[in-house]
Amino acid sequence: MGDLIVRDLYKTISHAQKTHLVQSKEIATSCVCPYLFKMSYPFGVVGGERDYVIANTVHDAISLASPTAILENWQQGKTQNDFERIAKSIDKDSEDILQKAIANSKSRVKMEGKTPLLETFDFEVQDRFHGLLIGLAKRVMKKYPQPKRAVTEITITNVAEVQEGRIDAIFEFKDDRYGLVEWKTNDVKRASGSGVDRWQLIANFLLTNYRYTGDENNWNRCLFGSVIYYEGAYFPRLPLSEEWLSKVKKDRKFAHEILCGERPHAQKPPFCPVCDRDGESRSDCRFYREDSKQALLGNLPVDYANIRRLLLRRRYLVLDERAETHKHKFVINTIIDRLGEANALQELEKTGVINSGYRIHSINANSVTLVKKYYNDDEATLTLLEPRKIVRIIGKEDNGIPLLACVNEKGFVREVDDTKLIVDFDGNTIAERAKTQLRNLPIIIIPDEINLTRRVLEPMHRFHRLAADIMLPPEFFLGVQNNESGF
Amino acid sequence: MNLGFDSEQLRVLNWRATNRDIAAVVGPPGCGKTTVGSALAVKMIAETLATKVLLVAYTNAAANEFCLELCDILGSKVAKSLCLRTGNPTGVDPSIPIPFSRSANEIKEKRIIISTNLSLKKLPALSFDNMIIDEAGVERLEHLLWPFWFGVNKSQVEEYKSRYDTRGDGDGDGNTQIPFKINDLIELISQCGTVATVVGDPKQSRPISPMRVDYSAIEWVIKKSTCDTLRISHRLPDLLSGLVNEFAGYDGLRSAPEISSRRLVLECSPDIEYREIIQPDEVTTWVDINGEEQPIGPSSWANNMEAKACAKICSHLVRITRSKSIAIITRFKAQKLTIMRYLQRMGYRDIKVTTTTGALGTQADIVLFSLTRNNPERNVGAAGTLQDLNVAISRSKEKLIILGNFDMMSNGWSGGGGGASAGNKYQYKSSARKLARLIDLKYGRVVDAPQMIIC
Repeated sequence: MGDLIVRDLYKTISHAQKTHLVQSKEIATSCVCPYLFKMSYPFGVVGGERDYVIANTVHDAISLASPTAILENWQQGKTQNDFERIAKSIDKDSEDILQKAIANSKSRVKMEGKTPLLETFDFEVQDRFHGLLIGLAKRVMKKYPQPKRAVTEITITNVAEVQEGRIDAIFEFKDDRYGLVEWKTNDVKRASGSGVDRWQLIANFLLTNYRYTGDENNWNRCLFGSVIYYEGAYFPRLPLSEEWLSKVKKDRKFAHEILCGERPHAQKPPFCPVCDRDGESRSDCRFYREDSKQALLGNLPVDYANIRRLLLRRRYLVLDERAETHKHKFVINTIIDRLGEANALQELEKTGVINSGYRIHSINANSVTLVKKYYNDDEATLTLLEPRKIVRIIGKEDNGIPLLACVNEKGFVREVDDTKLIVDFDGNTIAERAKTQLRNLPIIIIPDEINLTRRVLEPMHRFHRLAADIMLPPEFFLGVQNNESGF
Repeated sequence: MNLGFDSEQLRVLNWRATNRDIAAVVGPPGCGKTTVGSALAVKMIAETLATKVLLVAYTNAAANEFCLELCDILGSKVAKSLCLRTGNPTGVDPSIPIPFSRSANEIKEKRIIISTNLSLKKLPALSFDNMIIDEAGVERLEHLLWPFWFGVNKSQVEEYKSRYDTRGDGDGDGNTQIPFKINDLIELISQCGTVATVVGDPKQSRPISPMRVDYSAIEWVIKKSTCDTLRISHRLPDLLSGLVNEFAGYDGLRSAPEISSRRLVLECSPDIEYREIIQPDEVTTWVDINGEEQPIGPSSWANNMEAKACAKICSHLVRITRSKSIAIITRFKAQKLTIMRYLQRMGYRDIKVTTTTGALGTQADIVLFSLTRNNPERNVGAAGTLQDLNVAISRSKEKLIILGNFDMMSNGWSGGGGGASAGNKYQYKSSARKLARLIDLKYGRVVDAPQMIIC
């Protein structure tokens, strides 16, 4: 296979299939209600502007504490009285991490000009962090021995099953088995065993199976999976029921088809937490359902129908753009399938798609410096990396873990020359995590992109509703609270 | 207000300041699109035609350009007090005196807000009397919707909505009809009170779109609303403006009188090998060079011989024209990086090398343009599109040097793949043919590459 075949693949892959990937979170939303997924894609309805600064800070801190303080203080089989003690010793050992995470969040809020944080911010972060540790000690540590390794905030892409997801933490045990953990940091409520948390956990189980066995249906190495919430944990019994698994797969297919512009049948579940509980997108959901119905019946006035059609067409075009952001992963995966990983990596490097042969030289506050292990001026291929380009830094792990499931972090190229590459991360926490997770691993750089499509979809939703408000009399949407275009 | 604007710029300024609708202003190269956009914002505020104006650009670099123009027009002190730059802090040029902030209170206080399109989502809920959207040739229709949303007049919309409550009796007698006909989205937005000037040039840039052929944002506005074109270039000397005018079909683009006869002035005479290439009286020179193209990366191309020749010519130009700015432009990122590599090896790290996309909105005294593609099938590919060629030939203030295989370009094909012999039905005659013909017959000279620059 020559260079041109890799290039041909880039040209032709979009014709053969739309290169969409469905995120685990989107699968979970789809499982709760298919219409809820359609609200985000293609309609572009954005939920309330809730502030997740506390949740993000706790997430940052716990992702750094997992491979260090949590692993070191892990104790199996303790009694009720010991949980508080274990959590306190982890608290003590992670004091630095927590304070840094708090300071980072504060400076970010200041820099971004967001609403100033409440005075209780520090306390809330510490309390939520502690609550999660109690939940972990009480439900997970009690049952399982000390893991040998923890990997955190890892993005796993299973191209064959068109799924991608970011796993909060995976604990690896001595018998080569693993435990999957999701932290529920956005509030102090219990994780719901019937709602989005459960479905996201199951979707992530599939990705983690893929990471360790190469097959999402192989459960041999899976020990447990849990959503840890404030002072508790949700533990689905393994093996998971076939019904749950097939629902997740079915809804993954549904979401993928929607993204590809197809029209799979959507069925509102008997109970939807948004529509049946007066959730914030209730009116939008009813509006779009009614809008589609009236359009199918041919009841819409021509001028409104034209604007509606234009906005829908442009939305699907934006979705196609989202698919383009995943194209590199599809090409890399296809070449690996055809040639095997080692040959494929050589071929991709020769073509200039990926860059390998780097090792981590140093990691600073929010950047990493990578150097080429071997550099020969005569044989060097031209690298297409340049400042501001978005890249994924993959630490190639052993044990047959697929390339797109290995530990990785996303960053922006700051400086590049023939022998050295400096990549900036979006914050101090990622740099710290890279230090723990990527050091000592051979580094492969693949091109990546950011998905900003929801920002483009949102105004289309607003104008769609505005058009309906102005151009349609209220009787068109019986039961829908019209006049809700954002004013 | 007359701060040295030409007659066309003044006409457009007056037209846009007094009309409360959505319209397009097309600005061919060097006609001062950003200047007109910034001046319009200042005029609106100064003449109390608006209380709050939003200037939107596609890239951070273009938003910074807006800021610089505002500082030029208003002076740093006034610009500081009236204007605010918002968006992504990493893209802000710290040397610009206009303050940066994302704070809702500060944004509400200032009169002229400058932002990139992608950062608009983070703006607080505000209403602007007027919007000026730059680089709308790169954007698509959907990218205009965020800025347009900030112009929607709340009370006007409420009034339209309330007609159902006050007059509608639901018996279908027509009482509930709105007092105007809405035929398309732009008209709907306009009827909701949005006042905007969309600035750009569809002949210099195309939107990046998954669709093979897609309208740019400015083309939508031109199609659905009114439009005016600036036709006096303050960058291009007569021969270049003539070339650009005929090549892109601007229908009357001309040079401003003060720069019309501008020519390259050398500090010392060029070496004999370079004499034909750097001939000052000839504004455009095509260096016919037969280097081999190489595929690099997913879709890029490089041409080593052309890259080396660019670096050598550049090195000589630096020696004989120390005070002149030099830029090298190419369509392909791989070629850009190859040229940069050669320049770095020769010790020139400061010479600007850019792709045609990056060259938008920039200019230099001397421009070298590397065409890169060269194959027996004469497939020019993306290098032969009107917009890319137009951008590349219109950045230069004094001298344009094109490097590429003349025969290949004057018989080139674009679209499809596999060349003319393959009989691909998607192929069409490349715009490079027209460019080659115009340079050869009317606006420049084709010279053979001297042996010493290609070895």
